[in-house]
Amino acid sequence: MTVEQNFEALDQFPVGMRVLAVDDDQTCLKILETLLRLCQYHVTTTNQAQKALELLRENKNKFDLVISDVDMPDMDGFKLLELVGLEMDLPVIMLSAHSDPKYVMKGVTHGACDYLLKPVRIEELKNIWQHVVRSRFDKNRGSNNGDKRDGSGNEGVGNSDQNNGRANNRKRKDQYNEEDDEERDDNDDSSAQKKQRVVWTVELHKKFVAAVNQLGYEKAMPKKILDLMNVEKLTRENVASHLQKFRLYLKRISGVANQQAIMANPDLHFLQMSSSHNGLDGFHHRPIPVGSGQFHGGAPAIRSFPPNGILGRLNTPSGIGVINLSSPPAGMFLQNQTDLGKLHHVSSLPLNHNDGGNIPQGLPLNLEFDQLYTNNNNNNIRNMNNNKSITGSSMAFPSFSTQQNSIIGAPNNNLVVLEGHPQSSPPGFLGHQINKRLEHWSNAVSSSTLPPPAQNSNSINHQFDVSPLPHSRPDTLEWNNVSSSYSIPFCDSATTLSPPPALDTTNPRAFCRNTDFDSNTNAQPGGFYDTLQTRQSGNYCPTTDAMLSSSNPKEGFVVGQQKLQSGGFMSAEAGSLDDIVNSTMKQEQSQGDLSGGDLGYGGFSSLRTCI
Amino acid sequence: MDTLIAQLQRQFRDYTISLYHQGFLDDQFTELKKLQDECSPDFVAEVVTLFFEDCEKLISNMARALDQTGNVDFKLVGSSVHQLKGSSSSVGAKRVKGLCVTLKECCDSQNYEGCVRCLQQVDIEYKTLKAKLQDLFNLEQQIVQAGGRIPQVDI
Repeated sequence: MTVEQNFEALDQFPVGMRVLAVDDDQTCLKILETLLRLCQYHVTTTNQAQKALELLRENKNKFDLVISDVDMPDMDGFKLLELVGLEMDLPVIMLSAHSDPKYVMKGVTHGACDYLLKPVRIEELKNIWQHVVRSRFDKNRGSNNGDKRDGSGNEGVGNSDQNNGRANNRKRKDQYNEEDDEERDDNDDSSAQKKQRVVWTVELHKKFVAAVNQLGYEKAMPKKILDLMNVEKLTRENVASHLQKFRLYLKRISGVANQQAIMANPDLHFLQMSSSHNGLDGFHHRPIPVGSGQFHGGAPAIRSFPPNGILGRLNTPSGIGVINLSSPPAGMFLQNQTDLGKLHHVSSLPLNHNDGGNIPQGLPLNLEFDQLYTNNNNNNIRNMNNNKSITGSSMAFPSFSTQQNSIIGAPNNNLVVLEGHPQSSPPGFLGHQINKRLEHWSNAVSSSTLPPPAQNSNSINHQFDVSPLPHSRPDTLEWNNVSSSYSIPFCDSATTLSPPPALDTTNPRAFCRNTDFDSNTNAQPGGFYDTLQTRQSGNYCPTTDAMLSSSNPKEGFVVGQQKLQSGGFMSAEAGSLDDIVNSTMKQEQSQGDLSGGDLGYGGFSSLRTCI
Repeated sequence: MDTLIAQLQRQFRDYTISLYHQGFLDDQFTELKKLQDECSPDFVAEVVTLFFEDCEKLISNMARALDQTGNVDFKLVGSSVHQLKGSSSSVGAKRVKGLCVTLKECCDSQNYEGCVRCLQQVDIEYKTLKAKLQDLFNLEQQIVQAGGRIPQVDI
C-alpha cells in the first residue's frame, strides 16, 4: 500500500490489521492466533521462519505487522527480525519465553519494535497495532517534515524491522536542536550499553564496496563482506546495517538516475546519502577522531550543532560549503537504522568533524566544490570546518541542511547532502565532492577523535560528510564520473582501505539495525538479495513510487542539480535559512518516503523509511 | 434433588478447582478458557492437544539427546526444554513448566544425572496432566450431553 493508502486503512485500525505470526511451537502459535483473532486482527500463521519470509516477500504489502518467536529451529528469530526489517521494513514484535534482559536488548538492537514474553496475554496484543501506526506515522511524517529519525530504531523492543523510529514530529529546524539534544542525552545515558558506532569512512566504504563487488552484489552477505573487509572491530552488524543502507541507496538512486553511473561512484554518493541519513543528528556529531574515531560510538559528532541548525545553516544560500570536510567520514553510518523516523542526519557532515563538531554555522560555503577540492581540500576543509570560514570553499553543503531536512523526513537519509533540496547539490555533485570528501575525511578521521555516540541516530551515521557540496555537478550520476577514490562496489576494484584505526562498533544502534547476519542468514541470501533487487527494479517501497512519481523528489534532485549548474546552490538562494529548510522540507514531504533514487533527499533512505 | 446435570456440574467444578489447587493448572489456563466461546467451542481442547503433542516430541528429543552417553548435546536439550517451557506456560501447565525450569538449570550446568531425572519427572507430569484434563473434558462432554451448561469456575 502506498503511504496514503496505509493511512486510510488506519482509520479502521486496529481492526483488520494484518499480522503474520511465526512460532515453531504449535501450541503457542495456536494460542497466539486465537488471541490475535480476538483482537480482530487478520492473522496468518506459520511455524517456519523461512515460510514467513516467503510470505512476506511474496507481497510486501500483505502484512502490517510480524510477530515472531525468538527461538526457532530453522532460523533465529533475530535474524528473521533483521531480514524483515531490511527487506520489508515492517514492524516486528519479538516473542519469547526468555525474560532475560539481554534478549530483550538483542531484540531492541535488532530492530524489534516490541518484545513480549510468553505466555502472551491478550491485553498485550490489543495494543500492538500502535507499532504499525507509529511506523507509518514516522515514515510519513519523516518525509513530510523531514523529521529526524529517531535513533530509537530499535525501540525498546526493537524490531527491526521494525525500524519504527520514533518520528520526531517536530519541525526539524526548530526543534531539532532540542530533540537532538534530548536524544543525545538519552543516548549518552544509555551509551554505556551501546556499542560504539562505526564511522564509515571513505576508506571503509571503499572496502565495503570492494567486498560487495567481489562477492557479487546479489550474493554479498554481511558476514562475507565482513570477512573480506577484514577490518578490525567491525562487526557483522555494522556491515549488515551498512549493507542495508547501501541497498536502499542503490534502489533509490536506481529510480532516479542511471544506476550504473551511480555505481561507478557509489562510494561517495552513498556515503553522502548515508551521512545525510544520519540526519540532523549528524550535526551533532563531534568531530570524529580518525584514529579511534572512525567509528563513533555513535555519538553525534557534532553536538554543538543541532542538526537542524546546521542544516539550516548549511542550506543558506550563502553557500553552505562543505562543512567540515575534514570531519572524519567515519560517521557515515552511525545512524541507527532502527529509527525509521529518525533522520539520521548527516551528522557525518564533515562539519567540524575534526574539531568536534564545529559545524560552521550557516556555512555559507559557496565555494566551488571543485575548487575546494582541487586546492588543498584537506586544508581547506579543515579550515573551513574549524573556522567556519569555509567561505572560500565552494563546498557548500547545502545539502546539509537540506539533507538534514530530508533526512529528517526520510529516516534513511544518510545522504544529508544529497537531498532534493533545491539548494543542495545534486547527487552528482555530491559524488564528486563526496569522493574528495571521503578521502579527506578518511584523513581527517584518523586524526580526529570520535565523540561518543550520543544518540543512535546521531551517531555517526555518517561521519561521512555527505554534505552535498553544491558542486556544480548537475547530474547525480556524476558521482560516477567523479574521480572519487571510493571504490564503487560495482565498478572499480575496491581499493584496499586501511581500516579505521579504531572501529568502535560498540553501539549497534549506530546502524539502525544491527543485523545479525551470520552465516545462517545466508539461508536466504538469494531471497534477500532478490528481494532487494526486486525492489530496486520495482518500487521498493510504496513511497518510492509516490516519490518517484511525484515531481518533487525528482525536482529536488533536479533542482539541486540545476542549481548547482547555475552555480547557485545555496548561495544562489538568498533566502533565509529557514526558507531553505522549509522548502527542503516541503520537497521532502512531497516525496514521501525517500526511496529509490531520491537523491534529493539525501539519497539514501534507510530501510525503514522506505515503507 | 440433584439432577444429573447438577451433579456433573458440581463434579466438574470440584475437579477443576482441585486441579488448580494441586498446581496442575494456573491462571493461564483460565485465560485460555476465556478464549473459548461459541465460535471456537473446542479451543481449549485443541490447544492442550497440541501441547501434549509438543510434549511428546520434545521429551523424546531430549531423551534421545541424553541417550548419547558421553556425547550429550546439552544445547539441544536446552533449546527443547526452553520451548517446552514456553508452551507449558502458554497453556497453564504449571507443574510441567516448573519442572522445565529445573531441567533447564540442570542442562545449563550440564548435570547429566539431574537432566535425566528431571526429564523423567517432566514425562510423568505431562502424562498425569494429560489424563486429568482428559477427565475434565469428559465431564464437560457429559454435562453437555445431558443438556446442561458447563459452569464457569472461578478459582
